[in-house]
Amino acid sequence: MTEPIELSINGRYHSVPAGISVAAALRLATPALPLRVSHRGREPRGVFCGMGVCFDCLIVVDGMKDVRSCMTAVRPGMRIETAPT
Amino acid sequence: MNIRTFDVAVIGGGPAGLSAATAARRCGASVILIDAFEQGGGQYCMQPLAFGKPSAQAHLGQRLIAEAELHGVEALYGHEVIAAYPGFRLLTMDGTGGAAVAARAIVAATGAHDRVAAFPGWTLPGVMTAGAGQRLAKVHGVLPGARIVLAGSGIFLWAVALSLLERGAVITALVEARRPQAAMFGHLAAYPERWAEAWTLFRAVSRNVPRIVWGQLVAAAGGTAHVDKVSIRPVGGGPAETIVGIDALLVGHGFQPNIDVTSLLDCRHAFDESLGGWHATADADGRTSVPGVYGAGEVTGVSGARPALLSGEIAGLCAARDLGYRVPGGGGRLALLRWRLRRARRFGRGLGRIFAPLPELADVPDNETILCRCEEVSRAEILAACRDGARHMHTLKTWTRAGMGHCQGRMCRMSIAACATAALGLEGRELGYNKARVPLRPVNLERLLAVLDAEEESRT
Repeated sequence: MTEPIELSINGRYHSVPAGISVAAALRLATPALPLRVSHRGREPRGVFCGMGVCFDCLIVVDGMKDVRSCMTAVRPGMRIETAPT
Repeated sequence: MNIRTFDVAVIGGGPAGLSAATAARRCGASVILIDAFEQGGGQYCMQPLAFGKPSAQAHLGQRLIAEAELHGVEALYGHEVIAAYPGFRLLTMDGTGGAAVAARAIVAATGAHDRVAAFPGWTLPGVMTAGAGQRLAKVHGVLPGARIVLAGSGIFLWAVALSLLERGAVITALVEARRPQAAMFGHLAAYPERWAEAWTLFRAVSRNVPRIVWGQLVAAAGGTAHVDKVSIRPVGGGPAETIVGIDALLVGHGFQPNIDVTSLLDCRHAFDESLGGWHATADADGRTSVPGVYGAGEVTGVSGARPALLSGEIAGLCAARDLGYRVPGGGGRLALLRWRLRRARRFGRGLGRIFAPLPELADVPDNETILCRCEEVSRAEILAACRDGARHMHTLKTWTRAGMGHCQGRMCRMSIAACATAALGLEGRELGYNKARVPLRPVNLERLLAVLDAEEESRT
């Protein structure tokens, strides 16, 4: 088992296993939280394809928008925001 | 940024791409392998993170990755091809920058993704592809939910169920659209080498999944901000039944080839829903309709892992041979590989026919259902466009925006095709597909400009 790392999700700190995807970390830490809301219908969205082709799992990482959570590994101190688009 | 020049550029680092890269390299060609993930293996041989327990497929992947490295295949992991030009030039991007690659030949081994059908509620968080659930579990060691339902069609649902069960998942039900058919057993009976694998799968899943349902489709998924129930209904018609208390719904109907690169390079494609839909046509040596472009693995028609390995090796050898390199073992080796490929394909393609999507998938009862997830285009809008005269995917795209969004029509392809072909009385082939455009993935504009500037500088 690797050492857990700390990151923040919407301002709150969580401890997650190092090296997993942000999508996996969100599934562990905040399972009921949608990742974003859709542009037209403002409907909640989450991970769909899990392999980087559907672009549904977009979150904000360290201020950068539209990051695919399924294709991004967590880093210590990472700031994750599940923001409405 | 320097343009790196190679004999062969292999796009896709799954079983087919890794085999192609090693094969071409062994003939003496210089080879670069480009893959979107940080580790090779693709989907079939996905590698667990450091603390994970490797599956049999992961062990195969480790061997393939190590072999490629051992033979001196250069690798660009974590890079996605965003542009491809004749001649050939490729532009890739990764998390921080990009790379420019020039190659005399391209092997497109871009694989496939889960093929999905829309239903009311399919955009809810917690509804994901079977592949997404498998990847969360196998690579990241995280279960997609505490109480999971798998629904759709095909053996992959069972394979995912096994992966999840091995990691302690609670699976409430597995819902298969087809009914058990004699053809399923007859097909398996002809391939004794598959019996052990099939038996392991069948026994583990039937013992640990309390409900295995045949002949039913998802009618709707429900929940407020997250899925918490799914209703299923018999294929022929009949009352729906609701399964409550779930938090993950994993869906899929086999796989759909990822034809973005072959489309961009103007390769010819053919349509066959039993092969996943639109796929690149390739001859026995992997040659596509474009000289210098080879296809390997699922992109040439969904057939399974063994054909991917074999067609990859063939494409790699032929790409090198066509560039003037000698194939170790010569024509004899290739003939043997082609023979093995033909046999291996029969198994996977037979499954593809047996589990081909049912026409009833087109019968989505609620016209407000979103078919194009990215642009949020409803079934009603697609039908309206059909009534207004649209008879091609491209027209549907330009009139409704369906297929213009981030996923470039991957997730909505089957649903829109099923809806439109039924409404118009067309065949899937006649509806066509949308040609890929640069960039092949949505990219951050600032980053793209930086990459393009760097590439421009290196050419002047």
